[in-house]
Formats: sequence, C-alpha cells, structure tokens
Amino acid sequence: MAYDVIVIGAGHNGLACATILAKEARRVLIVEQRDVIGGLCAGEEFHPGYRHTGLLHDTSGLRPWLVEELGLSGHGLKPGPAPHRVFSPQTDGPGLVLSSVPDESVAEIARHSDRDARQFQVFGTFLGRLRKVIEPLLNKTPVNPSDLGVGDFFDLAPHGIAARRLGKRDMMELLRIPPMCVADWLREWFETELLNASIAGPAISGGWTGPWSPGTSTNFLMQTSTWNGPGQGGVAAVVSALENAATGSGVEIRTGAAVKRIDIEQGAVRGITLLDGDEIEARSVVSSCDPRTTFLDLISPRELSHKLEQYVRDYRMRGTTAKVHLALNRPLEWASRPGEQFEYIRTGEELDDLERAFDAVKYRQRSERPVLEVHVPTVARPDLAPQGHSVASVLVHFAPHHFEEGWSDSAREALGDAVVDERERYAPGARDLVVGREVLTPVDIEKRYGLAGGHIYHGEHGLDQLITRPVPGCTGYATPLDGLYLCGSGCHPGGGVTGAPGALAAHVIQSSRQ
Amino acid sequence: MAAKYDAIVIGGGHNGLVCAAYLAKAGRKTLVLEGRHVLGGAAVTEEVYPGFKYSVFSYVVSLFRPHIIRELNLAQHGLQLIPLECSFTPHLEGPGLVRWSEAARTRREIARLSPRDAEIQPAFSLAMTKMAFLIKNIIDNPVPDPTSLDPRELKRLADFGNHFLKLDADSFHLHSQLLTMSAVDFLSLWFESEILMAPMSVSGIIGTFLGVRSPGTAYVLLHHYMGEIDGAFRSWGFSRGGTGGLSLACARAAESLGAQIRTEAPVSHLRVQNGRTTGVVLENGDEIEARTVFSSLDPNRTFLRLVGEQHLDEEFTNQIKRYKLRGSSGKVNLALDRIPEFTCRPGIGPHLMGDLAIAPNIDYLERAYDQAKYGDFSERPYINAVFPSLVDPSVAPPGKHVMSCFVQYAPYHIKEGPEFWPQRREAFGEAVIDTLEQYAPGLRDCILHKQVLTPWDMEQMVGLSEGNIFQGELSLEQLLFQRPAPGWARYRTPIRDLWMCGSGAHPGGGIMGSPGELAAKYALQTRGV
Repeated sequence: MAYDVIVIGAGHNGLACATILAKEARRVLIVEQRDVIGGLCAGEEFHPGYRHTGLLHDTSGLRPWLVEELGLSGHGLKPGPAPHRVFSPQTDGPGLVLSSVPDESVAEIARHSDRDARQFQVFGTFLGRLRKVIEPLLNKTPVNPSDLGVGDFFDLAPHGIAARRLGKRDMMELLRIPPMCVADWLREWFETELLNASIAGPAISGGWTGPWSPGTSTNFLMQTSTWNGPGQGGVAAVVSALENAATGSGVEIRTGAAVKRIDIEQGAVRGITLLDGDEIEARSVVSSCDPRTTFLDLISPRELSHKLEQYVRDYRMRGTTAKVHLALNRPLEWASRPGEQFEYIRTGEELDDLERAFDAVKYRQRSERPVLEVHVPTVARPDLAPQGHSVASVLVHFAPHHFEEGWSDSAREALGDAVVDERERYAPGARDLVVGREVLTPVDIEKRYGLAGGHIYHGEHGLDQLITRPVPGCTGYATPLDGLYLCGSGCHPGGGVTGAPGALAAHVIQSSRQ
Repeated sequence: MAAKYDAIVIGGGHNGLVCAAYLAKAGRKTLVLEGRHVLGGAAVTEEVYPGFKYSVFSYVVSLFRPHIIRELNLAQHGLQLIPLECSFTPHLEGPGLVRWSEAARTRREIARLSPRDAEIQPAFSLAMTKMAFLIKNIIDNPVPDPTSLDPRELKRLADFGNHFLKLDADSFHLHSQLLTMSAVDFLSLWFESEILMAPMSVSGIIGTFLGVRSPGTAYVLLHHYMGEIDGAFRSWGFSRGGTGGLSLACARAAESLGAQIRTEAPVSHLRVQNGRTTGVVLENGDEIEARTVFSSLDPNRTFLRLVGEQHLDEEFTNQIKRYKLRGSSGKVNLALDRIPEFTCRPGIGPHLMGDLAIAPNIDYLERAYDQAKYGDFSERPYINAVFPSLVDPSVAPPGKHVMSCFVQYAPYHIKEGPEFWPQRREAFGEAVIDTLEQYAPGLRDCILHKQVLTPWDMEQMVGLSEGNIFQGELSLEQLLFQRPAPGWARYRTPIRDLWMCGSGAHPGGGIMGSPGELAAKYALQTRGV
C-alpha cells in the first residue's frame, strides 16, 4: 500500500483530519484539486495587487480544543481571540456596533433602547447557561438516533444530566426554542429591530431560510454556543497554521491534483484515481468534499446502494450565497460612523429586510436588495492591498444557485452592481472607490471549489439535516463502503470554519483502527 | 348564589360540549355556559340569510375522533357525516386536477401530469398511513412531561420515545423529515409535479402563519391519512345540517347524560380565592358556584381576561402573553342563485361535490404568504371552498346554493392595525370573489348574499383571540408539552380547579374533540373533579 490514508481536499477540515491521523505515524496524503491550500478559506489575489482571504472569513467557531490538540499556536497561530466588533449601519441613524466586550455592546444598544440594553445582559447570561448543554453536543461524535446501543446511553447520559441541571425553566426553553423562527424568538427579547436584524444575520447565512422560517433559532443556538471570537490573524492565520501543522506531522500535500474517482473493489476502498490518470493506493480514503460530490461524482453508481444514492440526491444543497470581492483605492467609510474603520459589517436594518432578501430565492430570483456580510480584511492586514487602499470581501445573501434566467456574464455583473448599489446606501461615494472586482455566483462557487449546489456549508442546516447529517448510514463519519469516511462540513456538526467535522472524523477513524 | 355544580364548562363549542358530556357521563353535575345565543362556538350553523344555513366558520369535519362518536352515541343524537368525494383544483389553463376518494381514479388524473408521480402515489400513501400512527398516538393521549423525574412520567416519556426508538433507520429518517421539513420540500422527495404538490401542500399551512415552503409544515400532511387508520372511509366530510350539526349532537348527548346548558350566558370573570377557583361570575352579575371550572376558551382569553394577571405569577403571565395566536385566515360565505361553472371543467359534476382549492402552483401560494408577512391580506389568496348544498340540500332553499370559502392569508395584524379590518373587509371580500371569478367566470352574477369574515370579526363574534381558528398556532414550539405553556399541557392550570379543555390545550385545533375529551378524562382519572 502506498498510503494508509488519503484525504481529499485541503480545506480546514481536510487539514485537521489529516494532521490528527498523521500523529500516529501513518502515511497520509492530501490531494487538493486547486493550486492553493485552504479550500473555502484560501486567500488569493483577485485583482492585481489586491488579495482576499477566502470565501469564508468568520473563524469565531474554530474549536479551542482543536487548536490545542494540533498545537496550532506552535505553528504560528497567535492565542486568544482578537477584539471583535460587528457594525450594522443605518441609512438614517447611528447604526449599531456589537462588540466582544459586553459593556461596549450594552452602551451601543442603549443608544437605541434602554430596555434592550438591560435585556441584552440577561440574554447573554441565558445563552451562557444553554451553552453548557449545547456546546458539548457539537464537539462530540454524533450518536445514531435510530440505532441506540447501551454504550450510547452511557455516552448520552452526561448530556441528559447537564440538561436537567439547567432546571425546569431553562430546560423547557431549550426544548421550545430550536424549532422556532429566529425572528419570533428575538422579538420576545428585544424591541430594537436593528439589533434583531444584526444578531439574526448569522442564523440565516447560507440557509434556504429567512428569519421568519421555523428552525432558524437552532442555527442561532449552534453558533452562539460555539462562538469563541475570531482568532488573531483571521482565517489566513488559521489556514497557515493548519498547513504547517500538517506538513510538520509528515502529511504530504499534493495540490493541483483533482480526483477523478475513488476506487472501490467489492465494497472496500482501494485508493483513488486522479484526473491525470495517476492511481494512488490507500487503505482508507477520507473525503472532505460535500456528500453529493463524494458519492455522486467520485464514486461509481454501481458501488452505492439504491437507498444511499437516493438519500444523497435528496440531501438539500441549494446554494443561496454569492461572493463579491471589491478592490478599493481608499479605506471604506460608513455614513452613520464617519471616520471609523470596521472589519465586520452586516446590513439589514430590520428583520423584514432580511426576509425580503430571502423571498426572492423562493421564486428563483436574486434579492434586489441583498443582505451584505462585509469583511474588510485590510483593517487587520493592510498588506493585502497597496498602501492606503483596501479590500471589501462581501458574502451576498441571497442569490440562488437555481437562478431562473441563468448565471450569464451579464447576470453576474448585474449581481455585482446590486451589491455595490446596496452598499452605496450606507456608504455614499463608495462606488467611486472601486478599482476592481470579482463576482462569484453560486455556480462560480460550485465550479471553483467543487462544491455541489455552491452551498457554502456543504448542505443546508435544516433540522432534519442536522439530526442525521448528512444522510442515514453516514452519520458517524464512516460510510457503508469499507475504508471510506467523510470529514467535511456535510457531517456533524455542520458548516463554517470550525475544524470540528475534520477532527471528529479523525477520532472515529483512529478508534476504528484500534 | 345559584345551585352548586361539580363542574362549569365555559364555552359551548364542540370541545366544551364534548368535555361536558364526558363529565356528565361520569356522574358529575355539569353546567355549560355559552355566551352567544347559539351553541357550537366556531363549529356552528347559522341561518344568516333566510333559508341559507351557513357553516359560518369551520366548514368541514376533518379529524373528529371516531371513538368519541361511539362513546357519546353521537350518531343517535343526530350526527351524520357525509364524506367529501373529491378535491378539485381548478386551473386557468388545462383541465385542472381532481383527486378522488377512489385511489385508481386519482392515479389516472395524476398520470396526466406525471406518470412517474402516479406510479409513486400508492407508496406515498402507504408510508404516510404508517406514519399517521405517530399522530394517532399523540392526539389520543395526554402528553408526558419531559422535565419531571416522577417514575410514572419517565415511563410515559419512554413509551412516547419508544415510538421513535423502535423505528429502523429509514423510518426514523422519514419521521424526522416529516416533523421538521416544509411541506413542499417533503413532497418533493416523492413527487415532481408542482400542480399536484401545490394542493397537497396546503394542508400544512391551514390556520398557520407559515408558507408551504416554511420548515415545520410537513407533518400536518399526516392528518389527511388519519381516516385510513381509524377505519373510516375518509377523514374529511360535512356534517349534515352544517358544522353546527356536530355541535348540536354533542349538546344533545351532554344533556341526555344530565348536563345543563345555558346560552346567552357570557362569563365576565372567574371567582378566584387563594389561588383556586370557586366558580364564575356572569356578565349580568350572577355568580355561579362550582367545585371546578373547565375553560374551552383560548389561553389568552382564559388567563388574561377571565382569571386576570393579579392571580397569576409573572412567569406564567409572560408565557401566556408570548403564546402566538395571530390568526391568518378569513371566511367568505356566499348564498348563490346557482352553482357557477368552472372553465377548466364545465358542468355541475361530481368534481364539485368535494372541496375545491385555489392552489394552482407553489409560487402562487408563497406569494400569498409573502403579502401576509408584511401586513396585507393576499390579493390572490389560497381558497378552500365547498358547496355543501350540493350534497346536503337542507342547508339552502330549493334550487339555491351555499358556498363556503376558507381564505388564507388574512392576517389579523394588518399593517394599519387590526381595528382597521372593518374598513378593509369589503376589499378583502372582493379580492376573494375576483380570484374565484377568474376560475369560474360568472360567479359574481350568481351571488345573492355574501358574508365576509375577517380574523378581527372572528375575534368579535366568537371570541377567538386574534381570530386564530386553532386557539393558537400549531407550531412545534406550541405543541405537545408546551401547549398552552411549558409544563401546563395536562389541562391543569396554575389556578387550582381551573382546567383547560379547548383547542388551546393538547392536542390543539381542528374539529377533533380531543382536547375536550382528554381534559375530562384526565381530570376524572386524577380525581380532579
């Protein structure tokens, strides 16, 4: 055997998984189809002299235990979260800055409502209590709910006890909130719509849902319960530390190596064949690709049971997010806070703005007024652009993969224009700063990153797709095919820059080897 | 001080009457108090215009539990259910779609849209019928309390959970999909024809403030398959003489078992002393003493109006205040000179004997919902209509007809504010008739009388808070052990001897009779009455 393990994809999950496996001195190879490492977090030059830091920028969900397990601080990741401020601009009003320093947030909210400022503190402690129950569940291998053994009961018992410890009132809340829509739930707490829209944003990011869609509160709870603040150096630092850790552990990384198929013989993995015809043997193959790509593109249909194939086809990966990178010849300024620089900005002044943006998707249209999740990486990393210039990296909600008129070149440019127009509302004059731009529609994202449906989380975070993620038979990273594992965001606990699926998959593979 | 009762039931709707009948059957001295001059609550028949008997609000009997019919001998007391023969979806182009109670005939209709869908339809029905056992289990029993450590509760919980645990992986997956997905997403797992899925999906949104693409709407699809496992021919039907006929049968049953019923006796408030109720005070000032009180009114009305915040702790009050009602539907009742013809299926044929749904495609339904989200009624709403006089001539003068239209969305909270509904009522009624007119040109000329009911009207007329026909949204966070408030799903309330027995209690709304039945049985069983 040439390799013990081949990991497909050098995204953060693939890197984390490979590094953990390599610690037991296995021969581990990562094959990456692109020429850059980092997957959705790979920084690239998108306009001469201007670089972005990747499709996803939010590293606040990165697991501290993973950082420790891989010794990432020894590989250049500075410890501790960076100060974090998210700015919600207004066209008419002071806007709102939510900060990782609670007192600052409270003072900001008090500019809009004293009641909400008080509520926000209560809300914070309440979420802190729930976190004790939710966070551990998102940091462990999932149990298969339809096949519980005695061991699973012992495994689950501490979680049950933790839930009971919450007391009757909080426990009831924990049962009540998940199926709710985030809009209803937040309105129970706060009257300031700008605040509601600001904190609801992440709960609908990447979904096929608006704030009025039931179940979006689950996303909110999952995110806040694993929120650790963005790390120092942003996503680029995470990727570079992961890469160093991987190579330091002896992992071999081959870029520009697209996989044609995963070779399977008699239900067991034999290795992979690359697009250039190279065949590489391995005892195990771990795919960090999304489930649909893994099973439908990389595996011959005759190796799949009809049922598994059907489940994978039914798995919902309807991309709704576009990405626009803007090269600007000056720092970006916002009307409601002149002179201030923000790294993270979220638009949407009320919950209905978010919902209206989502409505379009249902009719296979893009939002006329999209919700913008803007990251200005040059605030922390001025070296990404020429002196005095800046970069705005915008996640655009919503633009459907299934766009009725099709994503032609003109449709792509119209999307870019809509983003610039929307930003112009809050940052008048910003239009004139643009010296270059790159627009990625969900179809572009699909093609560039090999992501079915262009879905940034490798599959929607619907409740049913969280309970048995991704599909029955594959919920614990192993698959029905001997030696084939999954380790991408399509697995528990889902998408985002967390490293959790990769690391948890590695643990499962390790224990199955023993 | 009037005679002392074992139990007073507030509200003479079908749940209140069922509850009273079971209490009386157990020998309890029971009094039903109804505020209006007619019995039935929202399940009522009224002769609004001479000769035309409208099922004013609720118009089809969907899920009424067969064992209640047996146990209370409702058939002997005049209940006659006439099954709906079909479900007709007219279209502006093409022949429309009729789903018949006869499966083979439906398959032929579907085959015209998609042979593949026709082929898969039986498998879908079978899967749904199997899963309907889940619903049956839920609606025919009180819910367990997941926070209790009482061994009996843990046992109940285990039994409840056992339904899921004993499922194989595929069935478990199907269940979890059904409980969490949107109706459209769930149906898309099976079918490809939007024209078929649109009328199927609407059963997931009736009475809710959700769209067919909103997660959580799939499981209501099961209700349509309840009839199969109850051994009934079909679960949807008319009550002869209008929906009020069902309520009257319940009333006769209750009276025959010894219950007393008073109409035009609106309750002003509950007598509450030291945290327990001792009876009620009527609006005319009369006080009636009773050992227990059962309220079939919605939680908002029961606790915030009849009990009063001064008798409740703050946490419970807040829970009741956040309980979501926001009605989303209206009703248009028409008296017709003749039945209009539908362009896509001319003639007055059997396709009009069932219900008809204006649900031409999924986008249509979603657009209707989107308008409601932002505080408007739908200009082109989802309409579910029936011509009860075609199968039950007793409800209209000879040769004339009644048309009953359920309309969604008509949000209680229109952006002008609910009190502005009377000014918008006419426009709302016109939107409904305009919509129907597209499919049945000439309908407008057939109309002799029209009654337009907005959610605001429903609140005014029968006291349904915010015009919610289910006494509270049937969303997952307001069901099971959280209905009406977390920890108070066993019909008991924080006020001792006050019980809940209406649709605001488990298992919720629709003409099931279950909340009334389960409240009475549970109270009797726990010696609460």
